[in-house]
Amino acid sequence: MLNPKQKKGATLSNKNILILLVALFATIVIAQEPGESELEHNGWFRYTNTSTSLKITEPSVSRFALERGYLRFSHRWSPLFFTKMTVDIFSSDKYADGATVRLKEAYADISLPFIKDFNLTAGLQKHYFGLIYSWDYTHPDKELGDDRGIYSSADYGVTLNGFLPGGLGELQLGVYNGEGYKYAGKYVNTAPELLANLRLTPITGITIGASVFSNSRDNAPYKNDKKGRDASGKYFMNADTANINRLAFAPMAKVAFGPVSILGEYIGYNYTRSYTYYELTRDTAGNVVDSTLKEKTKKYQLSGIDFLPVITILGRKLELYGRLSLWNHTEQKSGDTMELNKDRSFIRYGAGFNYHLIRREKGKPGLAFQFAWIRTQPKKEETKPTDTFMAQMRFEWSSLIKKPEL
Amino acid sequence: MKKVITTFAVLTTLLFGVEIMIKGSDTMLNLVQRLGEAFSTVQPDVTVSVTGGGSGVGINAMINREVPVAMASRAMKSKELSQARSNGVNPVEIVIALDGLSVIVNSKNQVSKLTIDQIGAIYRGEITNWNQIGGPNKKIVLYGRQPNSGTFVFFRDEVVKGEYSTSMRQMNGNAQIVEGVKADEGGIGYVGLGYIKDIEGIKPVAIARKPAEEFVSPKDEKALKSGAYPLTRPLFLYTNGKPKGAVRDFITFILGNSGQQIVETEGYLPVTQNYADRNQQILQ
Repeated sequence: MLNPKQKKGATLSNKNILILLVALFATIVIAQEPGESELEHNGWFRYTNTSTSLKITEPSVSRFALERGYLRFSHRWSPLFFTKMTVDIFSSDKYADGATVRLKEAYADISLPFIKDFNLTAGLQKHYFGLIYSWDYTHPDKELGDDRGIYSSADYGVTLNGFLPGGLGELQLGVYNGEGYKYAGKYVNTAPELLANLRLTPITGITIGASVFSNSRDNAPYKNDKKGRDASGKYFMNADTANINRLAFAPMAKVAFGPVSILGEYIGYNYTRSYTYYELTRDTAGNVVDSTLKEKTKKYQLSGIDFLPVITILGRKLELYGRLSLWNHTEQKSGDTMELNKDRSFIRYGAGFNYHLIRREKGKPGLAFQFAWIRTQPKKEETKPTDTFMAQMRFEWSSLIKKPEL
Repeated sequence: MKKVITTFAVLTTLLFGVEIMIKGSDTMLNLVQRLGEAFSTVQPDVTVSVTGGGSGVGINAMINREVPVAMASRAMKSKELSQARSNGVNPVEIVIALDGLSVIVNSKNQVSKLTIDQIGAIYRGEITNWNQIGGPNKKIVLYGRQPNSGTFVFFRDEVVKGEYSTSMRQMNGNAQIVEGVKADEGGIGYVGLGYIKDIEGIKPVAIARKPAEEFVSPKDEKALKSGAYPLTRPLFLYTNGKPKGAVRDFITFILGNSGQQIVETEGYLPVTQNYADRNQQILQ
């Protein structure tokens, strides 16, 4: 017998199976049309062990999971028109069967005939910010901005993407939903997010660039279960949404010479959250006799740096890497004073290696084993560091489906 | 004797030798294989391993440092150049031969000459019957390459000047196009010059840029060498930085008299003086 939460998961699972079947059927139908279809799978089977101060026999987390299970259906209708859909079938203990499906990409891409090497993309697509799309998961963990939830890796929007002549770099300009791919209903607001992303490679092996986005959210989810007395002793109860104004920027650099590459970025993220709450007036018996809607604004300033040096040897079979990340989370306390939240600020470092049994190329499979150790030391001095070990098998395959020759 | 030399070359390479790995254009596959075999007889300590897959596949392999040399029947795209430079790979382009792209029809087809505009209209699907251009009342069946092919890209940009008709049959390689047109009286295809030598059942059509201009056959060597034939394109080798060591020796061999003779024997055109000068500047 399923409990109510599990039942919800089971219902979702059936719906997801239906989505998959429809997608698979669509791919087979599309594959009969002229052009080229591709079916691709990208799976990460991972063991994670997290403990305090290297006590790996007393872990707080010890789990096996399919962290990623991307299934991509794409079709090139013509040299100028391309469509793609990606679903992620991954482990999740939120659902009764321990897995769920999430829509990750669904877009159409049109090459612009009047601007060479530029295309227009519409739909649920990549959200180019910071290092997120330079981060090819040489390190199995997420890139810092993604890890901190500063931005989504995908979002609904319309973007212009292109390459500068002579291999000088690339450019993306986009208007996005702003909420990320996880929100598509109640919490989607009408204010768009504006994004610009530029990469320049003035000298072979040295890439510099920056990303910036600005977004105003007038309908962000906010817990409405917070209630009690405020500092002046008045009762209050939060409303269920908040207004958020966000501005993020991320200069980056990549240096690549021979087998060595170093990837680095700085992330600056400022936002204010204004939320409404009801100030309640109660009588002596505790009954609410009046309520006044009030608004409060709080500022946050978050910043961090992320470095990933990698050396690739043995004919690209073996990658050795280190990692250093710093994160500062400051927030408005009383008045205009900004204070470092030491629980949410940290220094993180580690190392690891990957062994590629088979390097993947278009239309062929790939298989790699990844091992990484990550230590996170919060800035609160009395908090002990946490150590995470990841062992991951990464398997990828793809199959080109061509129109049957008559 | 040749077998003995080849076996000896392979054994020597296994013990002490150098292997040059080259990947890319299917159009260039046979040519570069021949050049590699000839080079190994001159330098037995060097083995040249050549695999196809298409220009795009070869260029990607070079960008990812999987092979030192890519062969391509089209120039690198801005996206590929950007990826290469960002990876610390500096692509250097050498033209090793010229290819005249031949438009072929079934030998029973009475159409023997076409303008570039007519061929473009045929491949865009605007002309669909041979009787629209003076041929028999027969539906035109289009044969072409797949999008990862440099020939596909070159023909689209230079001739089709738009999108290919969705009815085009996308074949794996030049040989498959020849076979398709050979078996299909309504067929039309485009292949490298090296694929029309001494093959029965197909015929190359003479081509003119405009109706008023002279129609030139891809079998007219003089016209090919003078540049009068409208559909010629350079064939490239790409290396990461200026070629060095055995790769440089191999390229020098290709651009020398022996190499260029093999280029001609295989049905391609030797590099013209302007490309030769450019190559010389790169190799200096």
